[in-house]
Amino acid sequence: MAWRRRYDHVWFVLPGLLFFAVFIVYPTVSAFGLSLFDWKGIGRDVHFVGLANFAEALSSWPFYRAALNNLIFFVAILIFQHTVGLLLAVQLNARPRFMEFYRTVLFMPVIISLVATGFIWTLMLSPNIGFINPVLRDLGLGFLARAWLSDTTWALPAVIVVQAWNLLGWSIIIYLSGLQNVPQELRQAAELDGATAWQGFWHVVFPLLSPSFTALTVLTFIQIFRVFDVVYVLAGPLGAPAGRTDVLGTLVYRTAFGAGAMTSADARMSYAIAMSVLIFILMAAICAGLVHTLRKREAAV
Amino acid sequence: MTAMRRPWLLAASILFSLPMIGAAHAKTTLVFWHNHPEWKERVETILQKFEAAHPDIAIDLEEISGPDYTPRINTALAAGEGPDLIDVNPGPEARAAAEAGYLVDLTKLLDTSSLTDAGLDASTVDGKIYSVPVLGAYTVGLYYNRDIFEQNGLKPPATAADLFALCKTLKAKGITPMIAPSQDGTIPAFLYMLAASSILKADGLTAVRHGTRKLTDPDVLKAAYFMRDLYPYFEEGALGSQYTEGKALFALGKGAMMEGGSADYAGFTQTNPKIALAVVPFPALDGGQPSTVTGMERSIGVNKDGKHIDAAVTFLKWMLTKEPAQMVVDTITLTTTKGVEPSNNPVMREMIEASRVNDVRVWYEFPETANVFAAVGANAQQLFLGEMSPEDFAKAMQAAVTPKAN
Repeated sequence: MAWRRRYDHVWFVLPGLLFFAVFIVYPTVSAFGLSLFDWKGIGRDVHFVGLANFAEALSSWPFYRAALNNLIFFVAILIFQHTVGLLLAVQLNARPRFMEFYRTVLFMPVIISLVATGFIWTLMLSPNIGFINPVLRDLGLGFLARAWLSDTTWALPAVIVVQAWNLLGWSIIIYLSGLQNVPQELRQAAELDGATAWQGFWHVVFPLLSPSFTALTVLTFIQIFRVFDVVYVLAGPLGAPAGRTDVLGTLVYRTAFGAGAMTSADARMSYAIAMSVLIFILMAAICAGLVHTLRKREAAV
Repeated sequence: MTAMRRPWLLAASILFSLPMIGAAHAKTTLVFWHNHPEWKERVETILQKFEAAHPDIAIDLEEISGPDYTPRINTALAAGEGPDLIDVNPGPEARAAAEAGYLVDLTKLLDTSSLTDAGLDASTVDGKIYSVPVLGAYTVGLYYNRDIFEQNGLKPPATAADLFALCKTLKAKGITPMIAPSQDGTIPAFLYMLAASSILKADGLTAVRHGTRKLTDPDVLKAAYFMRDLYPYFEEGALGSQYTEGKALFALGKGAMMEGGSADYAGFTQTNPKIALAVVPFPALDGGQPSTVTGMERSIGVNKDGKHIDAAVTFLKWMLTKEPAQMVVDTITLTTTKGVEPSNNPVMREMIEASRVNDVRVWYEFPETANVFAAVGANAQQLFLGEMSPEDFAKAMQAAVTPKAN
């Protein structure tokens, strides 16, 4: 009877736990097993190689280059969300006229599939058929026009802009919900004490937004280190030009299934899985660190 | 009154439902995954011919574009959810699929005597037949836009020197000389195979496969220099543009030349029926011969886990006859059926003519050189941008070769 009372909650957790075990834990564990073999992903040619795939990944430049591109991607998106996203959320929170309209328009990109987003932007950015360059020229900014997606300097920023455009709605919604939880009395108190609008925001409102800050930072980290679709659609499986846009997602994908459109003779599924396992461990560790540090910061508030 | 009407109602409903029951039982629907979206209309025309001759079989064709095909099919096969008709790349991939037990052994089920030698060779894994290249073969050479050449009084190039002179002239006139979308590596890989094959020829490629010739040999190295020197004549944004975008640009007359094969014919004419297409073999490098590269289109096999193996075999049997082969060569690409010539397709005739000089099999069909294709993709952009020397590029190409142990 005591046992029953103590473990009653297990029945509520069980369905979710089973689902998690079958669809998340089991594949993850068996992936680790596969990563110890040399296997193309098809056929019976399988050899045990131990940790050789991990050693190869850790000593391969494309792996680090891809991780570095993910990092640049993450920092850029993070800054964008915590500045532009927050600014727009504050503006919306002031309940301007047509607020619903603005909110819908700003959130719209989030619900459009990233693949569709990528195609639309590919067409816009193309130097041959796109309209961004002609528009720049018409505005007298012709010196800015370039072949965006094949420019070694500008390809990654172009991809980041597309992703930022797509994700902006999230940051606005998360910050907006945070802002709506900030008690009105605190702001009024700050005003009465003679704080300027900026001081009120920076010393009273922003600290109270720290749960939103934590959630957004961690979510963005996970999202950006798994980024694949937008890069694949805009820059192809090779991270063109010359690997400048290559991220871990595209690297793993083309290693697993082969890089060529005509042949997949170079596919190396088990090596790709080894890279994914490394990424998994790395992301789990960083996420735990991030959550720990940011929670401390929240507690300090 | 009601008693009178009932028997009529019953009879009528039985009569009406009969054809439906019959239809539900008679029709077998085969699912067919193929990877040439730009051929869809033309392949469907062939399938309709088949369906007209076999009213009890319907074929549901799903076209999946280039780079997305392999991940889709490998995943589906591993999960036991593959289509009835599967297309695989001849060579190492067909072998892997056969060895994995995904394909029905067709050796005793099909009469393949109508296939060309190359077609039969591509179908065979250890003496057994697992798939047949019934949707043709392709030969790759150099397409040029006849209108642009005539308007500017130009002749198609026979040598690399001619090609560079031509590129300079065209560029000076503000015309893009060469369309070469390089985002996914397909076009650079063919450019390299054509340039290197100009020097190597068929014998030299055999020597590379046996390890007696190297892609770093001083004469073959010229192919890497050729690639680097040709890059400035590509269309703007070539490094970031997709194969399909490049094909559309060429079809619309936005460039004078494009490396391409008989299999691209359908896509070009689908985009722009009025395009004035012409073909020559790829220009000869210094000390080499003009070249073409020939490969099989994806070969079609039958899924061992499929529910309609008999119907799928019936389809392949029909595809091996002359009628569909004639439709393939007249509307899509070269055929692998013996004795079938294009009836009224000048581009296909020019392509056959071009391949008479120095035709080399596509490298990825051989296990020893299969990975060179991907190695070009991984390194060509660095070569174009000057971040990698032609010598290092050639080294990377040679590193992708696994010579046969003799």
